[in-house]
Amino acid sequence: MDLLPSQEQLELPALAAEFFADQMPISLIRERQAEPAAVTREMWAAAAELGLLGVSAAEDIGGLGLGLDDEVLLFREIGRHLVPGPFIASVLGARMAALAGDAGLARKIVAGDAIVGLAQRRSGAELAAAGPLTGQFDLFDAADTDYLLHVAPSGAALVETADAGDVQLVDCIDPGTRLATAAVDGAPVACWVPSEAEPLLLRGLALASAVLVGISQAVTDMSVEHAKNRVQFGRPIGVNQAVKHACVDMAVAAEAALQQTLFGAISLRSGRADAEFQVLAAKVVSGRAAIDNAAQCIQVHGGMGYTAEHNAHLYLKRAHVLDCFFSSSRKSLSALLAAGPAQ
Amino acid sequence: MDLDFTVEQSEFREEVRTWLAENAPREARPHTCNGGMREYDLAWQRTQWEGGWAGIAWPKEYGGRGLATLQQLIWYEEYARAGLPAIDSTFVGLNHAGPTLIARASEPQKAFHLPRILRGEDIWCQGFSEPGAGSDLAALSTRAEVDGDYFIITGQKIWTSFAMLADYQELLVRTDRSGSKHHGITWLICDMRTPGIDVRPIETIEGGAEFCECFYNEVRIPRANVVGEQDGGWDVAMSTLSFERGTGYTSSQVRLAQVVEDLIELAKERTGPDGRRAAIADEEIAVRLATARAEVAALRAMTYAGICRNLRSGTPGPEGSMLKLYFAEIAKRVAKLGMEILGDDSVRATSRWDQPFGWSGNYFYSFSTSIGGGTSEIQRNIIGDRVLGLPR
Repeated sequence: MDLLPSQEQLELPALAAEFFADQMPISLIRERQAEPAAVTREMWAAAAELGLLGVSAAEDIGGLGLGLDDEVLLFREIGRHLVPGPFIASVLGARMAALAGDAGLARKIVAGDAIVGLAQRRSGAELAAAGPLTGQFDLFDAADTDYLLHVAPSGAALVETADAGDVQLVDCIDPGTRLATAAVDGAPVACWVPSEAEPLLLRGLALASAVLVGISQAVTDMSVEHAKNRVQFGRPIGVNQAVKHACVDMAVAAEAALQQTLFGAISLRSGRADAEFQVLAAKVVSGRAAIDNAAQCIQVHGGMGYTAEHNAHLYLKRAHVLDCFFSSSRKSLSALLAAGPAQ
Repeated sequence: MDLDFTVEQSEFREEVRTWLAENAPREARPHTCNGGMREYDLAWQRTQWEGGWAGIAWPKEYGGRGLATLQQLIWYEEYARAGLPAIDSTFVGLNHAGPTLIARASEPQKAFHLPRILRGEDIWCQGFSEPGAGSDLAALSTRAEVDGDYFIITGQKIWTSFAMLADYQELLVRTDRSGSKHHGITWLICDMRTPGIDVRPIETIEGGAEFCECFYNEVRIPRANVVGEQDGGWDVAMSTLSFERGTGYTSSQVRLAQVVEDLIELAKERTGPDGRRAAIADEEIAVRLATARAEVAALRAMTYAGICRNLRSGTPGPEGSMLKLYFAEIAKRVAKLGMEILGDDSVRATSRWDQPFGWSGNYFYSFSTSIGGGTSEIQRNIIGDRVLGLPR
């Protein structure tokens, strides 16, 4: 039993963190706010070049062949650096394509040549099998993508973005996420993986949790730095327990979210009987930690935190978007209560 | 990274499970200090020692098993799963005094006391807080004057759980008042039968009477009972507290997960606020129960991570304060939720020792979790200063 990442496991996330800070900094969100897609194909290709789209993908499709725990450690950096772009959907899409036997497509996604956005159902009957996709969907970061991933309770589907039908852009609370709505009418399913074959929903929840953990940690770090440096009444504001203790509560929530997300990821990777319980618990605690910590971060920063110029609100807004990925927090809570007890 | 237990560890778990099923006491534990609690607790400790389960992570030379904290965790998990009572009277001996003696005591002190703790011969209590030294522990003023080979102790300690049952006490006294308040404190082994010690119970909001205050009137304690250096007791005491906040709470954390599962069962059985459906069908109650489930899962993950960190570095760090803080917050929320699920029945007085579990007693008990062993406010100061590096 070892719940701590090894030094070796931290190397790729550290490399990725450097890449994000250098090539995909938070300022990118503001610079590209008016562009159709949050990231460029060139940036996407550079991320793929580093191996960031294939951490857990098999080596024969161009991946690194590592575990979900390694992928979670990478996605935590995506959250910390608030990197835009459909990383979660693309990574899951590559896995699906490989599982569905389309190694060519899987290889293209891992190489960054095909991008996968996320489609979440708003209304219409759930997809029961590989049949065509119909209904009203919210599309996340679907602009300039080739495929859309839809995860239903019974399984996951990839459809071509071109088949999504009537797509209307919608303003998203998060300037780093592109939102659209689509009335999909009988889009052919290019790949279908039933949930018995692979728990893609849980995998998606684990990756969303990892990004949320990164957000919860980043806003804690920002708040702690501000509390150390911002001087009022002749002293740094962090000497005041009202501020200090707020920072501590953020740190504790972030630590709990991190450890549970790693626990969930390892449970899923190793096929533990209570993997669903552990991953749902991770989504619940990481969603709360990210949203509550980001909200507190705005408060610790005072007037500065309320300005659009400051990054705090970007973290809060992304946290709210991610908290809706694959399952709303209410839905995760119901599922968690319905699950059997932890092992 | 993995969550797998080795074949040996899994066999160990099987052994624990089998042994507990065969050897756990059949009769209920007495709730009151004068109702046979001491005899019950020590007999059960003795049984554990005879079975080879006392001091799982203690060194072999002092009667322990010499295994890792991971095996200790397995024991706690199985113990909680078996629904066995938490033995709080032996907590100080096994989780504060024992580990401190192992870390800091002389060989003769260790050789005498450690096996006695494990064999269920002695109960220990903690003489740290004073009326004027609570959160500010270093302000303690219980005086120790040197008289030949003895200290003469005069003063008062408070919040001393189980003092009326205890044989020994880990006692912090002031041996030097000339320097800073952290200097001049000495950690002593105090024999509770020494003349001049007066123990008085303090009733708690839970109704329990294991809480005490201790008065010392010219109590003679041999200087040979100093643990560590004379005047260097602050450092010794801090090692005790980090044990308490580290691995010492593991059993409570494991137990809390069981309490949440019991509460979910209760919510299925009891009628909810609408007077028709089960409490669990109430949306707010369901959300809070599910949240509690997620949080105790995270608490366990943090506990596991803490044990792994411990195995790598050897000693518990200030992260133990994070665990204690998180534990207390959850424990209090869960206890309050228990009251709400009980609804009108929550006004009926019960004890957490009742069978079935007394949720109202547990609610009042839960207030102690964010006060005892250092308040949550003090834990937040420790984390803020030592983990986050915030200015003081």
